[in-house]
Amino acid sequence: MNLSKSQTNVLDISSPYISRLARIERVARVTEKERLFNLSIEDGKTLGHLPGQFIMLSIPGFGEAPISISSPPDKGNRFEICVRAAGNLTNALHNLTKGDRLWIRGPYGKGFPVQDIVGKDLLFIAGGIGLVPMRSLIKTVLDERSSYGRMNLFYGVKSPDEILFKDELLQWGKAGNINIQITTDKPHPEWKGHTGVVTTLLPPLKIDETKTAAIVVGPPVMYKYVILSLGDKRIAGHDIYLSLERRMKCGLGKCGHCQINSIYVCQEGPVFRLSDIRYLREAI
Amino acid sequence: MKYRFLLKKGIAVLIAGLLKEFKVYGPVKKDGFPMYGNITAPGDLNLLHSPTHISPKQHLFPQRETLLRFSSGEYPAVEPVVEAEEQALFGVHPCDIHAIKLLDRVFAYGTADVNYLKRREKTIIIGSNCIPDKYCFCKGVNTMTVESGFDLFLHNIGTGFLVESGTQKGKKLLLKYTKTRKANKGEVKKLSQIQNQKKEMFVASINADASTLPLIYSGSYNSPVWERIGSICYGCGSCNLVCPTCYCFDVRDDIKLNLKEGERYRVWDGCMLEDFAKVAGGHNFRKTRGERLRHRFNRKFQYQVDKFGGLFCVGCGRCSRTCLVNINIAEVTNELIEESNKRP
Repeated sequence: MNLSKSQTNVLDISSPYISRLARIERVARVTEKERLFNLSIEDGKTLGHLPGQFIMLSIPGFGEAPISISSPPDKGNRFEICVRAAGNLTNALHNLTKGDRLWIRGPYGKGFPVQDIVGKDLLFIAGGIGLVPMRSLIKTVLDERSSYGRMNLFYGVKSPDEILFKDELLQWGKAGNINIQITTDKPHPEWKGHTGVVTTLLPPLKIDETKTAAIVVGPPVMYKYVILSLGDKRIAGHDIYLSLERRMKCGLGKCGHCQINSIYVCQEGPVFRLSDIRYLREAI
Repeated sequence: MKYRFLLKKGIAVLIAGLLKEFKVYGPVKKDGFPMYGNITAPGDLNLLHSPTHISPKQHLFPQRETLLRFSSGEYPAVEPVVEAEEQALFGVHPCDIHAIKLLDRVFAYGTADVNYLKRREKTIIIGSNCIPDKYCFCKGVNTMTVESGFDLFLHNIGTGFLVESGTQKGKKLLLKYTKTRKANKGEVKKLSQIQNQKKEMFVASINADASTLPLIYSGSYNSPVWERIGSICYGCGSCNLVCPTCYCFDVRDDIKLNLKEGERYRVWDGCMLEDFAKVAGGHNFRKTRGERLRHRFNRKFQYQVDKFGGLFCVGCGRCSRTCLVNINIAEVTNELIEESNKRP
């Protein structure tokens, strides 16, 4: 500690805003806008997260923001985040390199209920950087591949240069573990694949609606259309999981920014079953 | 008998006593407005009868509050900061005591907020009765009187004060700094007369039973009222500022010029401000002022009620009093009540 106790008026209680130091072990360019950071927590203890949870990340002087965890649960002290440079903090983060340190607290929120989807066919629908939190879940279920049925990943991006984790997608697909289809919103000279919004991939898909769980993560505008398409497939709201993005400042159910009616997304979400929020005004 | 009688001049002695132990805040007149201010001498206090423009929440949940101090460099460190000193809030009206009771629940809920709770623990509350102005409608939301949440409560009955002790702490302070005697029957009767008179003084009202308001608000989501008041609202957030139960905040960093030390602090934020629900990707979940007003009003009458119990509107009328375009929360609520009465 550089700061002397006498400078502050500290009482012997714990503040929920205290953070842990994490060291950047590796930075990888994912696309023009996103970087993948491999972090190790300096106290050596595990983050102890579930897929779909998030941390509050900060660089002193640049503030704090909620960032979803992109790696599967790990017993060690390592984890990964994939961040788009979109504001003060995330731009500052992109300027950091291996060996630099930042502060984290968490994990926060409710993640994907992994045990509830065991044995089911999984339909992943991701839009844009929605693949970031979904990657944690995909890697988790791929580690226990035999515990699940068929797996499909439908991934929509604005343009081909925005595709995240290209190598990993190829690898997951090649291993025959998961059927992956990627679509771009608009035609692009270098893109030979499917074109159209992500819902255009769904009609030909044959599913057994009695044993399928759908996991949907994407930008706010995507949800209502995907939900309609999943309705066409007769998947029950109970089997559809969504991760909702909201502004967050505390992660503790106090600051009010993530509130949807009486629900604080940082506490009761970000992952929800559709059946729990279908009629929640302003949720979708 | 639960009331003790205190002579008028006893208030100054009580204040002088409290000043020995506490930082004292109470109602004062500032630029002609009733406000909460620092009391440094008994003479500063102006036990006003009408509500203060800004609520006493600022002394429990300050507009700006440091949460952490940090230093960067070779050995980065963070240190929690909890600033709390012994303080007395003097002359708090029943509506504001109800509001503090709600904030106590909010900040203790889930992950306890140590900054608030430590401050609360070191705070004594001395309530006093009031006279409603044309914006007050506490009678309509059942907050005209208060049974708990204060250490002492002073009822002005003209000839002096009837003092009610809410806690042992309050009782001890009363004993230590004042000379009181048992209130006599006539004085207690006078108090109930005053309270009955007060009931007749309200201009604003709520035209339905308070317990039905959450349901009325729930059914009014698509009411044309929201768009109409949204079209005149400036989105200035004054209502958030003065509300005794608005507690949303932003968390920010300040760094010193040496770029090595700084602090993380929270400041009041307001759901009426445009970027309150806007995410990094640019999507704003409550883009229009009508949507934001609906959210704010529902927080008072429905959302927080579901979460914490008790209406979060305590009827102080501050938001109506301060609104630049005269959006009046009681009138809006009555309009929704009327609409809902017309629904089959």
